[in-house]
Amino acid sequence: MKGNKLVPYVITQACVDVMDKSCMEECPADCIYEGDRMLYIQPDECVECGRCEPVCPQISIFHHEDLPEESKGFERINAEFFTLGTDPLGSPGGARKVGRVGHDHPEVGA
Amino acid sequence: MTGLAAAGAGPELSVDLLIIGAGPTGLYGAYYAGFRGMSVAVADALPAVGGQIAALYPEKLIYDVAGFPAVRGQDLVDRLAEQAWRWNPTYLLGHGVTRLDETGESIVATTDAGARITAGAVLVCGGIGNFIPRELPVGSEYLDRGLRYFVPRLHELAGQDVVVVGGGDSALDWALSLESLASSVTLVHRRTRFRAHERSVEQVHASSVRVLTPYEVEKISGDGTVSEIVVASSDGDRITLPAQSVVAALGFIADLGPIEQWGLELRRRRILVDRTMRTNRERVFAAGDISDFDGKVSLISIGFGEAALAVNHIAALLDPACSVTPGHSSDA
Ligand SMILES: Cc1cc2nc3c(=O)[nH]c(=O)nc-3n(C[C@H](O)[C@H](O)[C@H](O)COP(=O)(O)OP(=O)(O)OC[C@H]3O[C@@H](n4cnc5c(N)ncnc54)[C@H](O)[C@@H]3O)c2cc1C
Ligand code: SF4
Ligand code: SF4
Repeated sequence: MKGNKLVPYVITQACVDVMDKSCMEECPADCIYEGDRMLYIQPDECVECGRCEPVCPQISIFHHEDLPEESKGFERINAEFFTLGTDPLGSPGGARKVGRVGHDHPEVGA
Repeated sequence: MTGLAAAGAGPELSVDLLIIGAGPTGLYGAYYAGFRGMSVAVADALPAVGGQIAALYPEKLIYDVAGFPAVRGQDLVDRLAEQAWRWNPTYLLGHGVTRLDETGESIVATTDAGARITAGAVLVCGGIGNFIPRELPVGSEYLDRGLRYFVPRLHELAGQDVVVVGGGDSALDWALSLESLASSVTLVHRRTRFRAHERSVEQVHASSVRVLTPYEVEKISGDGTVSEIVVASSDGDRITLPAQSVVAALGFIADLGPIEQWGLELRRRRILVDRTMRTNRERVFAAGDISDFDGKVSLISIGFGEAALAVNHIAALLDPACSVTPGHSSDA
């Protein structure tokens, strides 16, 4: 793993209810997972290649070092999406296999 | 890309060491094993060497490889291949290794392209996994019957109507290099903007390549082999193009794939190794991004060190008369 971070690249509020999925098409690690209303980056699987960031039409994806102040919480939200709940997603090793997860981090669904 | 073809490598092969993965770790391992006197085969699912560097960032500058204040990704790959070449390793490119079977004295590896490699030891340098081409959503039944993901030999498409799908560098490169050979070249991309070098984009627009954006492939048809492709824009405009070849260059996805089925102990989707880079399986070692141990960091320079460490221990395993310590290459 590179650097001292929760999530190298972070998806933020602007994705909610848009989910254009351009990022998924670009990600070579196939590590961008579809919740219900937004997408999440699996931190252990992300290779920090930066391909997702420029293709997002919502400008929703940021490198964690460039996160705007109001979006800082999404670093934790992206990470927790994979660890929270009774049957956490963990690191399934590929979003294509998993398909639509269908729920969100509690702070997003609300 | 450094196109070291699999030519000459028969479907049956016997070597001291099989290296799985021709990324920087595997290439350096191939050099090192040659230096230690082993015969070596290197298999990679991709048609070219270089792993993540070649597939994801060949044009980027790398600043943290020892001895190179700055080096372009593809240049580093070329230098590694040149260094390994000294010992004539056998490359099996376009060979994804699917199975590793034990036979007591050796391991037999099987590839998805039909090769069987018997090896005294195996060094898994699988990185973040097999790079597999991203599939076109429609028409996959025409794979190898007109639909292809790679064009290793351009001249095979001479005189054909070719449709290249994709918006990245490889799509544009293929469109440009096929322009003079093919009867016609059409480049189809589902977005208006290309994600490629500006210079290639300019070249494409200045060439005879017909550019259709934003269009998506709706249908591929033909009797047995591809003869026609229908592309559609988001506002419903449809164009039917004659095509004998469709080249889908939609990028790659890394997939750990078969490695998960080899009975290797994994932690966080990486192979656990001991201080000699040995896995829980007899004669199987791992190095580079695919390996895991306490304190692991995934970097090119660390992969180099791990490869050398693994190969020195493999040398002693294969020939107990061999020392783990290699002596100095400068004395050779
Ligand atoms: C954008 C980007 C920038 C980076 N920048 C740097 C940097 O500046 N410095 C640095 O040190 N590192 C950098 N890295 C990380 C570096 O690229 C990796 O650490 C390095 O490539 C790992 O090398 P590897 O040989 O272990 O694995 P890889 O390069 O991943 O190669 C593994 C190879 O194994 C093959 N393979 C896997 N499974 C199989 C199978 N079953 N059968 C056949 N073949 C198989 C794959 O096809 C692949 O070619 C960067 C990574 C990215 C994505
Ligand atoms: S491209 Fe942006 S808006 Fe679209 S799914 Fe990805 S993060 Fe969300
Ligand atoms: S940085 Fe690369 S690997 Fe990470 S989520 Fe974005 S596209 Fe995927």
